[in-house]
Amino acid sequence: MDFGLTTEQEALRDEVAQFIKENVTPEVMAELESSLEGGRGPHYDAMMQKVADRGWVGISWPIEYGGQGGNRIDQYIVEEEFARVGIGVGGAGSGAPAILMAGTEEQKKEFLPGLLNGKIIFALGFTEPQAGADLAGLQCRAVRDGDEFVINGQKMYTSAAHYATHIYLMCRTDPDAPRHRGITIFLVPMDTPGITVRPLWTIQSDPPAPVGTTYGMPRTNEVFFEDVRIPVSTMLGEENQGWYVGAMGLNLDRVGASRYLISVRRDEDIINWIKTNKTNGHSLADDPAVRDKLAELWIEAQVCRLMTLRSMSIVERDGNFTYEGAAEKVWAPEHGVRTTETISQILGPYAQLLNGSEEAIEDGLFAHNLMGSFQSGINHGSVQVMRDQMARRGLGLPRG
Amino acid sequence: MDVLPSEEEQMLKNLAREFLEGECPPSLARAMELDEIGYPPELWKRMAELGWTGLALPEQYGGQGMPLTYLAVILEEAGRAIAPVPLHSTMMTALTIAEHAIDTQREDILPRVCSGDLILTWAFTESDPRFIPEAVNMQATEDGEHYVLTGTKMFVDNLEASEICLLACRTAPRSADSQGISLLLVDTRSPGISGTPLTTLAKDRQSRVTFDGVRVPKANLVGQLNQGWPIVQWMLERGTALLCAQMVGATRKDADMAIEYAKNRVAFGRPIGSFQSIQHLCADMTLWVDGAQMLTYEALWKIDQGMPASVEVSQAKAFCNDKCEAVVRSSQSIHGGIGFMMEFDLHLWFRRVTSWTMRLGTSFEHRANVAKALLDTPGEVRLGLPLITVP
Repeated sequence: MDFGLTTEQEALRDEVAQFIKENVTPEVMAELESSLEGGRGPHYDAMMQKVADRGWVGISWPIEYGGQGGNRIDQYIVEEEFARVGIGVGGAGSGAPAILMAGTEEQKKEFLPGLLNGKIIFALGFTEPQAGADLAGLQCRAVRDGDEFVINGQKMYTSAAHYATHIYLMCRTDPDAPRHRGITIFLVPMDTPGITVRPLWTIQSDPPAPVGTTYGMPRTNEVFFEDVRIPVSTMLGEENQGWYVGAMGLNLDRVGASRYLISVRRDEDIINWIKTNKTNGHSLADDPAVRDKLAELWIEAQVCRLMTLRSMSIVERDGNFTYEGAAEKVWAPEHGVRTTETISQILGPYAQLLNGSEEAIEDGLFAHNLMGSFQSGINHGSVQVMRDQMARRGLGLPRG
Repeated sequence: MDVLPSEEEQMLKNLAREFLEGECPPSLARAMELDEIGYPPELWKRMAELGWTGLALPEQYGGQGMPLTYLAVILEEAGRAIAPVPLHSTMMTALTIAEHAIDTQREDILPRVCSGDLILTWAFTESDPRFIPEAVNMQATEDGEHYVLTGTKMFVDNLEASEICLLACRTAPRSADSQGISLLLVDTRSPGISGTPLTTLAKDRQSRVTFDGVRVPKANLVGQLNQGWPIVQWMLERGTALLCAQMVGATRKDADMAIEYAKNRVAFGRPIGSFQSIQHLCADMTLWVDGAQMLTYEALWKIDQGMPASVEVSQAKAFCNDKCEAVVRSSQSIHGGIGFMMEFDLHLWFRRVTSWTMRLGTSFEHRANVAKALLDTPGEVRLGLPLITVP
């Protein structure tokens, strides 16, 4: 057991923190805030180039695909520092782990370097109007036609679709096979003819949530596919094996700093706010009930952190999850909700005020977080489905 | 960083589990609830032969000098087996002696602990159950080469089995600060000591101990006169972390029993473990005990590294208190009626874990300690970086 960082890793963290202080300028942050596309703009791009030059992108990825061949903990350190200012650098959530695992040599060379430097962005095309938690019920059809597949159907809640270059698309290729064995994944360029993207605006869209809000995204999308023709070579893994490729890739995608940080940042924020603010001469730090509750939440947040470290330790040992990935995905989101709801009862009516209100605390961060924290328990596998997985795969309890 | 057990730690754990599964069935815990000294000397001797009592004690006194995380693995497995042995009180006291006593005291005590020939306990609490200096009122008055003790200590573990008790008392008049507390090694068979067993939830061996003019040689002082409080804190920190390990072990076993029961118990024509209400409860129980385990080992690891760990220990105990209790209560719920019948074993775990939640600091006390470090210190807090500890 070793819960510590090495001296080199401590130094790396300080170096990254210093870099962020010097290079993540107000201009970069302005581009990040004003863009609906997760940070696009000349200042942002120039800053990201410097990050890449330092070898901080894809530290644990293989060298031949644009990574550094380093270890997962180093990557976690860099990811964490950047995630704290709202910038993603690790490649988590990108679909990349599945390509690393199941892609052909050509696919790895085509996609992985681009995923790392941000030139390629994948939208995740899983959910459909009739297939959310029960994803295996998906109906988007891909029919083989010679060297091509023809796709017809619809995807929903496809968050990055309006700025993604590609979509990681799960389709039904064999409607007669058992549900899990008739699914295939395709890596489809978004500019393929026949793809239409329509916005779905979230409850965070007006006013816009401040940077750092848990699930502060104003927009997600519906994506329609009408006779979309793609070559067979866009298939990821084998035909009709897409369910298994997707399940493994999603699990690995969940491992990393950004995933747990979205659920614990408000624990830090409220404590730091209370330490520096008084109202009418009164500090909330003097209230015994508030103190007890904040300590309780802080301890829960430590468990979020430790569950993430456990998942990384498993990945670093090349082990397989039995339930640990799912466990993280239950504990952290529900913790985030408990914290956010507690904050609303600590701050009272001021916690209602949204971004732009003159008296809003921290630009309405806590208010917007009330609309966002529960989303983390829904997206990418709901906490209910994750509990099912824990019970069945992890504990061996029988199916109903 | 690798928060999973190392190969060596896993091996130790497997060995301990195998040994205790063979030698320490629940029937033994049951029998010892009714026993006058409360532990089986043969089992204790064999545990010592396996090197467990000396595992974390210095090599020069017959120990193996291993980190606390290793000893915690043993306590975790002892908790899993609800082994009715005085391991926790002996180790908590022996570690304190190894660190804070003088050579002659160590030479007298530690080799006999390693060999399994000496059982130890400690005494702090009186009428006020909080772990603060003001709670210590028992006065030790000087009389030539002796201190004379008069007063009452509560919740003293394994008194009948222990030859020596490390006791906190006042050697200067009571004051609000931490000055004036001293630690004495007291021979439990000294004239003037009388113990009364307490009837506890766990049916373990805890006593009310009265001291009526008990004479203790001045040479039995541990640490400096009147400067005992930091040693008390040192001891409580380790004792608390090790108790957490024991709680985690017992709680994990308790959850395992519920999961196994859910797979086999049929109701409404199917195993109850196929119902989502039960499945999700079992998933939650797993989250809770996992969290308790990781917090516990992080605290122990920090102690081993010589880092400040008061906050981490409090984090672990507060979480263990709440969540281990939630697990064993949920396990009772899954078992239904049979779970609280005397003839069924489950209550043996429930009663012990529940009792341990009340020992060595309540959730409120430990969260107050965490809150101090979060709120009463300068600067910003950040998860994953150490907090400043407020004394």
